Order: sequence, then C-alpha cells, then structure tokens
Amino acid sequence: MRMLGVVVVIFIAAPLLIVVPMSFSSARSLQFPPPGYWLGYYQAYFTDLTWLRPTWNSIVIATATMVLTMVLVVPATFALVRHRFAGKSIADLMMLMPLAVPHIVMAVGYYSFLGEYRLVHTHIGVVLAHTCLSVPIAFLVLSANLKGFDRTLERAAQSLGASPIKTFIHVTLPILRPGLVISALFAFVQSFDETVVAIFISGRNAETLPRKMFDSIRQEADPVIAVISTLLFAAVLLALLAPAGWKGIRSRLRARTPPTAITTGR
Amino acid sequence: MTSYLQIDGVTKKFGDFTALEKVDLSVRKGEFVTFLGPSGSGKTTTLMIIAGFEKATHGDVLIEGRSISRLAPHERNIGIVFQNYALFPHKTAAENVYFPLQMRSIARSAGLRKAQEMLSLVGLEGMGGRYPKELSGGQQQRVALARALVFEPSLLLLDEPLGALDKNLREQMQIEIKRIQRTLGVTTIFVTHDQSEAMSMSDRIVVFEKGRIEQAATPLDIYHRPATRFVAGFVGESNLVPAEIKDAGGVAESAALGACDFEPAEPVSPGDNVTLLIRPEHIRLSRKPIEGRKNVSMHVDTIVNYGDNSLVIGRVGDLQMRVRVLGADVVIIKEGEDCCVSWLPESVYAIPAA
Amino acid sequence: MGATIARLAQRPNLWPWLLLAPLALYLAIFFLVPLADVAIMSVTEPKLSLANYERVLTGTLYQRVFFNTFLTAGLVTLACLLVGYPLAYLMNHSSQRTAMLILLLVTMSFWTSFLVRTYAWMVLLGNNGPVIGLLRAVGFETTPQLLFTRFSSTLAMVHILAPYMIMNIYSVMRKIDPVLIRSAESLGARGFSLFRHIYLPLTAPGIANGCVLVFVICLGFYVTPVLLGSPREQMIAGLIGTQIEEFLAFGMGSAMAMILLAVTLAILAIYHRRFGLDKLWG
Repeated sequence: MRMLGVVVVIFIAAPLLIVVPMSFSSARSLQFPPPGYWLGYYQAYFTDLTWLRPTWNSIVIATATMVLTMVLVVPATFALVRHRFAGKSIADLMMLMPLAVPHIVMAVGYYSFLGEYRLVHTHIGVVLAHTCLSVPIAFLVLSANLKGFDRTLERAAQSLGASPIKTFIHVTLPILRPGLVISALFAFVQSFDETVVAIFISGRNAETLPRKMFDSIRQEADPVIAVISTLLFAAVLLALLAPAGWKGIRSRLRARTPPTAITTGR
Repeated sequence: MTSYLQIDGVTKKFGDFTALEKVDLSVRKGEFVTFLGPSGSGKTTTLMIIAGFEKATHGDVLIEGRSISRLAPHERNIGIVFQNYALFPHKTAAENVYFPLQMRSIARSAGLRKAQEMLSLVGLEGMGGRYPKELSGGQQQRVALARALVFEPSLLLLDEPLGALDKNLREQMQIEIKRIQRTLGVTTIFVTHDQSEAMSMSDRIVVFEKGRIEQAATPLDIYHRPATRFVAGFVGESNLVPAEIKDAGGVAESAALGACDFEPAEPVSPGDNVTLLIRPEHIRLSRKPIEGRKNVSMHVDTIVNYGDNSLVIGRVGDLQMRVRVLGADVVIIKEGEDCCVSWLPESVYAIPAA
Repeated sequence: MGATIARLAQRPNLWPWLLLAPLALYLAIFFLVPLADVAIMSVTEPKLSLANYERVLTGTLYQRVFFNTFLTAGLVTLACLLVGYPLAYLMNHSSQRTAMLILLLVTMSFWTSFLVRTYAWMVLLGNNGPVIGLLRAVGFETTPQLLFTRFSSTLAMVHILAPYMIMNIYSVMRKIDPVLIRSAESLGARGFSLFRHIYLPLTAPGIANGCVLVFVICLGFYVTPVLLGSPREQMIAGLIGTQIEEFLAFGMGSAMAMILLAVTLAILAIYHRRFGLDKLWG
C-alpha cells in the first residue's frame, strides 16, 4: 500500500514540478532534461505584448467577474440560507445548474447568444458568461460559511442596542469576512482559469490568458508557456501558504505587544 | 407590591402547538427571579418574548407600566447573557464590553475606560486585550456578564448561562453572579433547569411546566410548600403519597401509611383528595419505633452509598419510600431487612389535588 | 393589539424574493437563454427539422465518437479510483505531517490551471521528454509514440481529475471513527475483510461522489483531449468544437451539445435523487 502511495504521489507531483526547470530551459522546443539554463523566456514573457495583453485581459475580466458575482451572490445566499419560502429547493438547484452543464455546451450557447447582441469578442461578453459559471462556486463557499454562522451573535448584538443594519455591519459582515474573501477568490480563479468558453467567445480583442495558452500549445508549444505555468504555479503556492504564514506573523506580533496596549491603542 | 416587570396574559403559539398559555407574572425592582422547568416547558420562550426575539400571540409585556411589545429588541435596553455566551469572536474582551456603549454613541476612549471598569467588577482586570478564544469558559462567562451590564440595562436576562461550565466553576459563578447582581441592584431573570442552582440563587422561583406557570414563590416555599405534585416532584427528592383528608385539623389517611397526622397550611375539609409530601431527608430510620413520631415498618430493598449520606429505598406495603440518611445511621441496617421509618407531623405537607 | 401583531407576523415575507431577484434575473438571461439558444439551433439550423439529431444518432462517425467518449470517461474514472483510494488511505494512516504534505500537494495540483498540467504532460511524454529518454536509456531501439494518443490524453485527464476523487474519498475516510476500526479488529476483521466490511461501506458515499464528478467532467472535457489526444479518436466536446469552429455547422454542434447535456443531466439527476446535488460539490 505504502509503495503504491509513493508512486501515486510521484505521479501527481512530477507534472507540477517539471514545468519549473522547463521555464529556465534554453531549448527552443519541448526538451527534457533541458540542454542549458537561462532567463530568456522570462524576459520574453515580460516584454512580449502578445502575452502581456491576454494576461491583462484575464486580470480585468476575472476582477470584473468576481465583483459582479459577489454583488449577485451575497444577497441571494442570505435569502437561500436564512429564509424558508415556496420554491426554495428549486432556487437552490438553479444556483448549482451552471456547474452541471458542460462548458462546451455553454460555449456554443454563448457564441450564438452573445453574437446576437454584438458582445462576442468583448470584455463585457466574457464577464457576463464567466459570472454565470462563477455563481455556483461562490454560492457553495459562502452558503457553507453562512450555515455555520451562529445567529445568537446577531441576537446578542441586537440585545446590546444594535439596529439590524448596525448588527450587519459590526457583527455579521466582519465574522463572515473570511468566507466572503474565499468565495470571491474562488470566483476570481474560476474566471481566470476558464478556458473553453473563452476560446469560443473572447476573440482577439478580449483574448484571455488561457485562450492564448491554448492556441500557443496547439500551434507551436512556445516555451514561454513554461514561464507562465511556473508563475501561475508560484501564485497558487503563495495563495495556499499565505494564510498560514500570515497567522504566524500576526500571532508573533501580538505576543510581543502587552494586551492592555491593544485595547486602548486601536 | 409595586411591579417593575409585568407579564400580562402572554400566550405563544407555533402553528397548532401552544408553547405558552396565558402566563401572568410580576417582578419587583431589583428582584432576582429564576425561571425553572424542564426543557420545552416554556421558560426560554418567555425569556425570548421579554427580550423581543419572539412575538407573543396574545398578551403584553410591560416595564414600569409601559408596554414594550412593540419595541424591536435593540430598543428595549435589556441585557442578555446567552447560553453559549455569544461573544463576538472578532472583538477583544474590552471591545465586546464596549460594543453596547458604541451602539449608544459613547466615545471610544470613554467607552473603553468604562468597559475596563466593568471587567474589573467581574474580576477580569487586565484581560481586556484578549480575544474570546483566548479566555477560559468561566472568563468568557464573565465577559458576557460585563457586556450585558455595562449599559445599565433595565433588566438582565440570563439564559442557562452556567450549563457549559463544570461543577466547581459553576458554584463559583453562582456566587459571583449573585454578588454582582446585588452590587448593581439590577432586576434579573435567570433561566435554568437545574433546581439546586435555582434554590441557591433566587429571591423567587417560577416553576414552568407545559407552557404554564405551576408556582411562583420563594425557594423555601417552593421546597416545603409546593403548589402541585409536579413542583414537589421536580424540586428536590420526594415521597408522594395519595391520601384522603379525614379531619380538617390535620389527619389524612392513605392505603399504605394508614392515618397520618400533618399540619395543614391551607384549610382542608374531610373527603378532599390530597397528595402527601414527605421529603426523604425528613425521615428517620431506626430498629424500633420512636416515641412522638409517626412510625411505619419498611422492607429495605436497596442502599445506595454516596459517601457522606446514603439513599435507602424500601417498601411500605405497596408504596415505595426513599429515605436519606447520614452515613452513620445506615450502618445499623442491611438490604433485605425490615426496619422502622418515622417522621414528625410538621414534616408532612398536604398538596391539594388539582 | 395582539391581533395586529398576529397579522403582521402572517404577512408573507418579501425579503427573500427581493434578495434573490437580481441573481434569478441574471441567470435567467445569461444562463437559461443561451442554453435555450443551443436547443433552438439544434432543431432550426439550417432548417426546422430533427435531421441533426437523426444524423448524430445514426452516423457511424458520431456513434464512434460517443462510444469513445464514454469509454474514455469510464477508464479515467476507474483509473482515478485506483489512484485515489490508496492515496486517501495512505493519507489517513500516516503521520499528520505527511498527510498535510500530501494534502498540500493534491490541493496544489487541484488549483493549478489544467492548461498548465496538460502542458506538463506534453513535456513529460514528448519525443524529447524524460519518459522517452528513460526508455532509450534502458535500451529500447524504437520508442513508441506517446504524445497525441489515447494513452496521453487519458493519462493527463487522470492526473487532472484525480484530486477530485482523492479529496472526496479522503474527506469521508477521515471522518471514520478509529474506534470503529479497532472494535472491528477486536471482533476478528483482518486485512481484506476489514476493507470489505468496514472501509468500503463507510467510504462508499465518497467513492460515489468522486466517480460521478470525475465521469461527468470527463464526458464534457474539451481542452486536454484536443491538445493531447489523437485527432482520429476525438471526444464529443472536441467534435462539437470542430463543428462550430471549422465547419460553422451550428445545427450539428448544437444537437451534439444537447445530447451531451441530456446525458450529463441524467447522471446528475440520478445522483440528486439519491444524495442531493448540493453534496456533490460540497
């Protein structure tokens, strides 16, 4: 069993690790082990507009998608988690539907639908489509958080003199903040990584990074892809380790400050 | 008696289920009143109606003669300590205590100073900077108490606040809560299902059962003069014997005990059905009958040893009797033997039939 | 007075509807209408008829693609299970530190864009890659073509989808009370019988979850089969893409999309009746 486990770990780890040395490779096409190492393709990525523009497009689109998703999902999640009403189970199901439909099907639909309104090949078009795909993920994360929220905290706030609005601002929102942040992050990543719909509707104008990568891999396997892969990989690693690191820093900071200084100082 | 808090015919229905049925109660200013009852008896529902988190189906709640039924919870100025304390996890102890002052637009520096004073009163001097998760259960409890009191509420409600604490800490907190309540003189309603807690803390106990108030009286009256069989059975240990009044001057007859003298607290007339209450600790156990007491013979089935005392369970005819004896007394008797149990007429209380 | 309160409490609460309305409207316009577009195109392009469905369901080319898609999805699901179960078991039975490291690795893999992972497999399996290199070093004269075959795309899909399986199984396995295992052992269960009577039934929900998820995602997988697979052994999503992009055959593409959607929803509907759809991604 243990041997098998080790093999599986290697199977999972190897593809993740191989892109890192590849990004420093001096080879013009796929070759491993690399014949030599240099930083040329990093330079190429950071100076080549055909790569930088899609990167920027992706950042803009993912940010807009994240904002729009949260604006729509936050109130809806409160309604679905905290209220009982006729048709609630259907609404619950509806929230998850975009996750159930294969992206290729949605891609065909958006290609035709957005075309009718001249939104194909526009940033707005991609954002509108991506928001649909991000909704279920943001909803799942946020509703799990909201279900775990202890509502006596809100009662306590009200008994202490906070109006419903003040309760929301001073108690509900701050306690829910981690859930909101993670939910928004999921929405962002979903859009940033989304490939299939973007291939069909983003066009040259609103070309996203995954679309550019897809085209590039299909046509020439540009070594710059290894650079982007390494950067994305580093971003994921950073995002995963950041919370633990941040906690460590905070607790260390707080250990050095005498407790009374905090209450009067802030 | 001038009433400070007045509950007026409050009824609460959840669909077909009646959680509270015409509850009336009045509480004096500064009084410490405990709502006692099993879970589902309506005590917490009553508390939530006072706090404004539940709306009464009928009836009214008044403080100093003014109805508060139409006020939202945040307009009622009532301090509550919740079962799980409900401390805000993202705020320090001091910030938690400052919160109600913040909601009342009191400046941060002055408010935090007041919060620190309040924390000192509950014995948490210098702990203001800690977050709830860095405090022990007892300390969290104290913060919750300070937070509920700092804004000088017109009423303090405590919803089973000691349930999560272990036994020693619980007794310590009982004394502590009582001390703080006396210091501030705040009118307090305390909800619990623990009868010893109710006994030790309250000026008055209100016993709830099935959405009704069974009895509202001082702890001693509740214990020695229960109004109903339920109260007698719920509060303390009891021997309950159905009987019929033979003489209005204080003689009742039961199948198992025969004629039994008692001191009538309320007027009774011959032929009334009553339940005789004899507390196990008022019964003595001996080899031979004792002069001047009511004596009956009992067959001992089980002896449960608690160290400083023992519980002897036996039978008098068909009737099961429980006797509490101090350690020394139980040595004389063994399981399976017959012995004599006896009590004084003033130890017998006749509960009128409902 | 009491009567007014009772009436106020009975008034239907509009809040949830107000909160839900924007999103409901949004999904209706930007999710349901495009989906309806696909359905409409499948019967109107190029003219109003069911001809597209007829061609898709009877043409041998399309039948082969559908068969190939199901076969691949089944293979990938099975492989993910064979890879995922032992790893989840290992995580559950190793020190907390090791388990954390493996979890971190799996999570890393999960979060890494599947384009990146697809690209990595191109490097690994390429003609100048380490696998071929290893085979040459061992002494193979002629090395097999690995890239752009069913083998490469299946392998990459297993790698990409394995984290779904692992996380699903691990999350249920972690919840098994160790006392249960110890008591089963004390009652005489050993080795395979312990697995058969204790582990398997208790982890079954996780297995079901993982399998449904992997199978359904695999059915509609576009990127990896297109980039790594053999052009002669297309999967359905790839074929839909070709119809739309190369032949501008919207009717045919839509009809195939509708069939893919119907199959996917049918599988999810069965799952939903059994377990509830919200559990699948939870």
